[in-house]
Amino acid sequence: MSLNNKKNLSGWLDMSQSLSGVILAVFLWTHLVLVSSILLGEDAMTFVAKTMELSFLSEDGHGYPWVVSLIAIGVGLLASIHVLVAMHKLPLSLQQQRALRQQMSVINHGDTKLWVWQAITGVGILLLLPVHLWLIGSAPETIGPAGSADRIWNQGVWMVYLPLLLCVELHAAIGIYRVAIKWGSERALNSRDRIKKIKTIVSVVFVVIGIASLLAFLPYA
Amino acid sequence: MSQGRTLTFNIFRYDPQEPGDKPKMVKYQIEEAPGMTVFIALNMLREKQDPSLQFDFVCRAGICGSCAMVINGFPTLACRTLTSKYPKAEITLMPLPGFELIGDLSVNTGKFMRELAERLKLWLHPKADEVDIHRIEAPMAPEEAAKLYELERCVECGVCVSACATKQMRDTFVGAVGMMKIARFELDSRDTRSVEDFYHVIGNQDGVFGCMTLLGCQDNCPKDLPHMQQIAYLRRKMATALV
Repeated sequence: MSLNNKKNLSGWLDMSQSLSGVILAVFLWTHLVLVSSILLGEDAMTFVAKTMELSFLSEDGHGYPWVVSLIAIGVGLLASIHVLVAMHKLPLSLQQQRALRQQMSVINHGDTKLWVWQAITGVGILLLLPVHLWLIGSAPETIGPAGSADRIWNQGVWMVYLPLLLCVELHAAIGIYRVAIKWGSERALNSRDRIKKIKTIVSVVFVVIGIASLLAFLPYA
Repeated sequence: MSQGRTLTFNIFRYDPQEPGDKPKMVKYQIEEAPGMTVFIALNMLREKQDPSLQFDFVCRAGICGSCAMVINGFPTLACRTLTSKYPKAEITLMPLPGFELIGDLSVNTGKFMRELAERLKLWLHPKADEVDIHRIEAPMAPEEAAKLYELERCVECGVCVSACATKQMRDTFVGAVGMMKIARFELDSRDTRSVEDFYHVIGNQDGVFGCMTLLGCQDNCPKDLPHMQQIAYLRRKMATALV
């Protein structure tokens, strides 16, 4: 059955929040796996970087670095949509913040605390992601073992990447856990406890991979 | 066995009716008895130590939902909470947040529930021509009756409302109790309201699309109602109505 009155946007907003979050999380994890190619050595990372620039389509094998800029713009747009719809859920007024603090001081509840972490890391991402997207999107040709290592360690961008890594890996895993139970994937077989455990493992694994990758760039700096 | 312990109760005291009274925590001590519940302890405290202590109860058996309060950080029913559950013998009692305070541990859940029922129209809406008191009521399939009964178990204690941070931040949010009751009428074949009708009531930021799935309702409901599954079901139903 479809509704005649589609003016009520809240349903669309809620679905866009979940959908944009899922796409961003899948992108994030794929992205981190690709970046972690540095752990396999210089050649592996160069191959991945060139392939992402669609080098196999150009005759000289140099590829098209602007493809990476396009991806950065796409991620930026998607993240903007996610922020705009998710912001409706945040306690923006002082009155709401006071109500939340008051309730949390009386009631001890794990998933509410988890959500507070998701909100805090979300604000962290909002501040740090634009820096990352600008650095990559404005100089896509520099991505590679030497160029990235120079950016991360010589130019000090690790100070952005490290907190960003921690924020996104917490935010994404908690978000996917919440989306799964929000839309009802919880069944006897894949119970909430199990999904929650997987969430924690995913966060830890990707934070470890991320930190290892950042360190792996050190020798090329 | 916890028999013979001395229990220490830290109880929130404040009477808004008394001019000049300020909210405070007051300490009481009481000898633990076998099988003692927080509700029994409160009655003993009121009887023997402080007759001015305010708290609600009716059934003392987890059926009326009156004695809900926050016990050591968890909102639940005092009559179903054994004092032996607390190895440190220290119990802190607070009134349910998010409701009008009557005094001490007593809150006005009734006013909230009545307003909610009126706002969401939480009663059966049968077909106009089916209302005939001279006719025998049509039988209902046992499976359907069982499903409805499961949701009818709600005792309106208010625990889900106070455990929900979303509700605390958004006063107009209907909370798990509102959605549970809507789900109950949505499942009822005698109710004539369509998906569209329900959408107008809970297909918005005050209903399923405002719920952030923090699951305070699911984790604290003293009747173990399936809030998580039920809200997810309603959300899918409302989302399908959109597309």
